[in-house]
Amino acid sequence: MKSAGLARPVAIRWSPLVTALAFALPVVFVLVPLAIFLVYSFFSVDQGQIVYVPTLANYLRFFTDPVFLPVFWRTIVLCLSVAVISILLAYPTAYFLTTLRGRWRYALLMLLMVPLLMSYVIKIYAIRSILGLNGFLNKALVGLGILAEPSTLFVFNMNAILLTLTLLLIPFAILPIFLALERIPQVLLRASDDLGASSLQTFLRITLPLSMPGVASAASFVFVLAIGDFLTPQMVGGISGFTFGRILYSQFGTAYNWPFGAALSVALAVVVIVAILLGERFGRNRGASL
Amino acid sequence: MNQTSDLLTLRSVSKSYGTVPVLYDIDLAIRDGEFLTVLGPSGSGKTTVLRLIGGLEPLTSGEIRLDGQDISGMPINRRPFNTVFQDYALFPHLTVAGNVGYGLSVRHVARKEIARRVAEALELVQLGRFADRFPAQLSGGQRQRVALARALICQPRLVLLDEPLAALDLELRRQMQDFLKSIQREVKTTFLFVTHDQEEAIGMADRICVMQAGHIRQLGSPHELYYKPNCEFVARFFGENNLVAGTLGETQGEFRAIETALGRLVCSVAGQPHLKAAATGASGFAAFRPEALRLAGDSDAGNRLSGIVADLAFAGSSTVATITAAGDAAQRLRLRFPSRVDGSALRTGETVALSFAPHEGHLVLA
Repeated sequence: MKSAGLARPVAIRWSPLVTALAFALPVVFVLVPLAIFLVYSFFSVDQGQIVYVPTLANYLRFFTDPVFLPVFWRTIVLCLSVAVISILLAYPTAYFLTTLRGRWRYALLMLLMVPLLMSYVIKIYAIRSILGLNGFLNKALVGLGILAEPSTLFVFNMNAILLTLTLLLIPFAILPIFLALERIPQVLLRASDDLGASSLQTFLRITLPLSMPGVASAASFVFVLAIGDFLTPQMVGGISGFTFGRILYSQFGTAYNWPFGAALSVALAVVVIVAILLGERFGRNRGASL
Repeated sequence: MNQTSDLLTLRSVSKSYGTVPVLYDIDLAIRDGEFLTVLGPSGSGKTTVLRLIGGLEPLTSGEIRLDGQDISGMPINRRPFNTVFQDYALFPHLTVAGNVGYGLSVRHVARKEIARRVAEALELVQLGRFADRFPAQLSGGQRQRVALARALICQPRLVLLDEPLAALDLELRRQMQDFLKSIQREVKTTFLFVTHDQEEAIGMADRICVMQAGHIRQLGSPHELYYKPNCEFVARFFGENNLVAGTLGETQGEFRAIETALGRLVCSVAGQPHLKAAATGASGFAAFRPEALRLAGDSDAGNRLSGIVADLAFAGSSTVATITAAGDAAQRLRLRFPSRVDGSALRTGETVALSFAPHEGHLVLA
């Protein structure tokens, strides 16, 4: 009767442990730290010492101090822009990839993913040297006669952050869009042709809507990664490129105000969670079992 | 020649994928308003014929003419044909109404007109209540009917159906066969139906085109194909048949003899001049249906055979006996007779005398 048990004794002995680990790891390494942050955000700091008395002071400061909210909104707008630009660049790239045949498609995809294997800091340095006053971009623009002299438009400001984040995060936009496009059954496109649609109509009415889940995932990926980034703004933003991530970083570093930093983190976490939920909501196919 | 005119003609159409040929010089005329079934085993090229006509793939050589005009180079979205795909290919993000109206909406038909015609088409396929559902919320049979409505709404000259019933279970498939046939009669549109299921083909088609290995083997009414197969392949593929190999003998009027290991058999060659004309001594087969074979009485004229009952299979209304023929132990004969409530009169191992009437036998050249 229990012949099935004999066939897999090892699996049975290990499976409770594996299950426990599967739950324990995220709890210990994700939920507990988040909970600690949440708790810390209700403490305060006095003379460099953390005071373990619950207070709402940190949240009051965040909402009332004229410094934080504008930076907060500006950062959200910046990261939304990064997401939008990334998608505008990634969509045609991903679409082009799906038109390739066989191994070329994956070879090129791999090439586009290679930057993900490189050190983040090195990439930022590289981009900084491209954007700099004597960088490749300025030299090219001057050389082409578009600019009379090197511009400071891309040096140590919000534009620099926007461009750098976009360049860094574009692979994260290409991949989900590519996967969504690739999953569209070719026969649907043939059916559309067969019913008399032009190729533009087929794209707008079939391909684009069916790839929207990929676009939604791409947008939430890029947005979440961009908003959590403090290193990029730190390195290419200069003084004017001040983002929420940098404020947060300074609270844990120079300012040494962990409770306030924790409160700011909670605000950021709320935005991130909303972005992920939105991505999830639109990342699913409407009534479809594709 | 025919009162009905030809809608579409294929003239020496060939198709190769790379260096692999899949269709060899196909000639086929599809009559206006008919239900034509292309029947063949997998790999016979039947789906390729449909894909070439639909414009899903280019021809390698030859031409396709619609009303006498060459449309071989016409792009898929200009051809006045619509396809019902094997797995329906419904757009998952559009409702039933959105799917059905798609062909009209890409042609910029006015919204009101679309709504009216969609309602009409859904009524035709009895899915009026399902307009707002998504394909994922429908059963297989319902999806099938949406696909049909979507293909019919553009009033195509020809509807191409690519094994649309293959995914359905037997009961549903039977219902859909009747349904398809009745719809076809109602809308009076030409249907080109591709299938590997000969029962399906017999049940629905006005004419059947049997394909094998990239060639058309026979084109005719189900009755013609069933009773007058023109080659061994069709005789074996199309329903159960007893085939007895032999060499052709002399012709007597509408009948011709064939010398076989089971003796001399006389079969009808009425209306088949090529069988009358075939050389004496040419190898061929006597073909006769299991239901044409009967247990012989002493007085029976016609072709006499005998053998030992090897197996009896009860199949509901009829019973099929497999008989090892006397004269050739490798030759199996199948005998189909009406079942009786008090059991079969035959026993396995019993020696039986059999006969079939010459006019129920048929000759096939090898």
